[in-house]
Amino acid sequence: MENEQRSPLREFAPQLERTSIQGYAWIVFLLGVIGVGFYAFLTQVIDGHEVTGMRDNVVWGVYIVNFIFFMGVSYAGALISGTLHLFHTAWRKPIIRMAELITIIALLIGPCFILLCIGRLDKLYYLVIFGRIQSPITWDVIAISTDIFGCLIFLYLTMLRDLAALRDYEILQLPKWRKKLYKVLALGYTGTPEQQFRLNRATNIMAAMVISIAIIVYSVLAWIFSVTLQPGWHSTIFGPYFVIAAVYSGSAVLIIAMWIFRKVYHLENYITQKHFVAVGIIMLVLAAFFGYFTFSDYLTKWYGSEKNDELLIQLLFKEFYWPFIISNYIGVLLPLLVVGIAKFRTITNITLTAIVVVIALWLNRYLIVVPTLQSPYLPIQDSRPEWFHYSATWVEWSLTAAGVAIFCLLFTIASKFIPVVPVSGLVEETKKEDVLI
Amino acid sequence: MKRAIVLNIFLALFLTFAPKFITAQEKADTAAPVETKITFTYLCTSNDSVVLKANLFIKKDGEIYGLENASINFSVTGEKENINLGNAITNQEGNASLTCSIKGLPANKEGIISYAAAFKGNSKFPPVEASFVAKPARIKMTFNIEDSARHINISATQKNAKGEEVPVPNEKLMIYVPRLFSMLKIGEVDLDADGKANFEFAGKIVGDTLGNLRILVRLEESELFGYVQGQNEINWGVPKQYYKAEVPSRELWTPIAPLWMIITLIIMLAGVWAHYVYAVYELIMIKRHSKNNKPLY
Repeated sequence: MENEQRSPLREFAPQLERTSIQGYAWIVFLLGVIGVGFYAFLTQVIDGHEVTGMRDNVVWGVYIVNFIFFMGVSYAGALISGTLHLFHTAWRKPIIRMAELITIIALLIGPCFILLCIGRLDKLYYLVIFGRIQSPITWDVIAISTDIFGCLIFLYLTMLRDLAALRDYEILQLPKWRKKLYKVLALGYTGTPEQQFRLNRATNIMAAMVISIAIIVYSVLAWIFSVTLQPGWHSTIFGPYFVIAAVYSGSAVLIIAMWIFRKVYHLENYITQKHFVAVGIIMLVLAAFFGYFTFSDYLTKWYGSEKNDELLIQLLFKEFYWPFIISNYIGVLLPLLVVGIAKFRTITNITLTAIVVVIALWLNRYLIVVPTLQSPYLPIQDSRPEWFHYSATWVEWSLTAAGVAIFCLLFTIASKFIPVVPVSGLVEETKKEDVLI
Repeated sequence: MKRAIVLNIFLALFLTFAPKFITAQEKADTAAPVETKITFTYLCTSNDSVVLKANLFIKKDGEIYGLENASINFSVTGEKENINLGNAITNQEGNASLTCSIKGLPANKEGIISYAAAFKGNSKFPPVEASFVAKPARIKMTFNIEDSARHINISATQKNAKGEEVPVPNEKLMIYVPRLFSMLKIGEVDLDADGKANFEFAGKIVGDTLGNLRILVRLEESELFGYVQGQNEINWGVPKQYYKAEVPSRELWTPIAPLWMIITLIIMLAGVWAHYVYAVYELIMIKRHSKNNKPLY
């Protein structure tokens, strides 16, 4: 009982036990956005892909951009949480759960955008029946499904101690079914030396696995583009470039999530400026790498003066001038300035910078997909000028908003099920502090 | 705090304008009237016919846009009368072409014919026309082999005022072999004073499966004759052989993946899933060690 009074779980009890009126309003709002997205989806299924902006030339649009973006965020979550765990980074505990949740939620949403992009969902099983190992699309399907399993196992392993704590914390006023669920999911973990040893070993192995899988899987996603001869895609550095861009965008999403949960659940004591600066510095380093890769990629294309690459670069600096500037200049320089200069490193500044980075990285993916498809290699018979231009329709924007809303909703639900800060880790810290005192 | 406000303002501006950067792909029409333009060329072939080609387009924001479905009228302007050759409709690129016989077309004393192409215009695009003059000519070719060397004998003729065939002297001719996407230039020759030239065909060029090649000889951009073309077929090409791989290769329709790919995939997947299985095994062992333990709290 004394343990219960001292447990950090007590502070997270309100988060788990009840939902405020604002919380319900937020969930209703998200459901509304998802509802609009569902209506857009029905419109697309009934009327066909004509309701989207995609045509014969630009066959990939916002859906694929969202897919790459969400998958990137997911892999970033895996890389960050895996790395922090593996190297036992001292400040990791308050934010590692968020990174893990970002991983799995984004990983569930991302592939849905591929399904939206497929014209004949009723023929989806053909992918399994007629799938060819030589196809990068098949690599991607295998890689993503493998990644989902790996991330789920890793998330479960890292949650096990907290599930056991929630099972045993009797003061918590939770419905019986939730208590039973915690009991089943906790697997009888009580923290014996044997159990701790096995759990630590399995978690370490899976942390290493999710890091390597995240790198491989996002490289596979990059290879879908780079193994084609399309101008702008056929690049040897696309694999590492995608990985860096993914971790960069994910670090920004993590900062935004930290800011939101800090405000909503009053976690000011757990998530401090130190954590924002730490993740901000990760973002800064990744911004520098991202800028380097971007410059290197475009420099070689520009200097090579290959005709189609030149046309693409002209298109980027003409029709897509502002997205290009925001994505590749502001998106790179802003973190360097805000996080790089010590006196600018406030929580607000870092969070605002993270928002700009997320938008810049989404635009970066848009610039990878759309302008290339607008400058095809071979002239296609009967291709009219209007078919070369892509502009997303309300259907695509609605489904994009629905994707973001589902991400937020799942994050909200997850935070109602388990504390967003691993309390078991904090118990250990509290014990250590007691010993020191 | 001030910095946060400045950043907030920047962010608000960014969020306001960013969607427009993506979607604003259709620019408002400028107030300046659009000038319609036309280019007009022709090709005289050896069977006494000409192919008249017109391209109708506009220039907007530095880009060229062809005008589609426009009716182009082709005519010949004579000293006494104008002959209407007919109309042709432009395609998506703004191209329209008309093939007609040169027999009976009015010409001046030198045998020069004046052609015209005109677009009537409509409410949005003003009328435009173009014309040029050219004298019909004819290019013929024969093939022979001497001492195992292959020769193309070329002759170019025109008609004089009396209607007699006379040579086209001292003009440069280009020799091509048509390929899938463009013309492969294999050489050029100069006509002598008798309007004759000889070209040694030395290349090994892939023809059809029987080795047939089509040879085109062209007089290009001549001030007097414009474009004149003669063509013939000869069995001097290398027969085309379709490659049939003995082992499965990387074609799109190849049913089996390369062995290295299958092995790599199996090793990687086996390595990854083995670790998953081990992690699940550890979870099972944790469950087994759960009995009779004290709770955490």
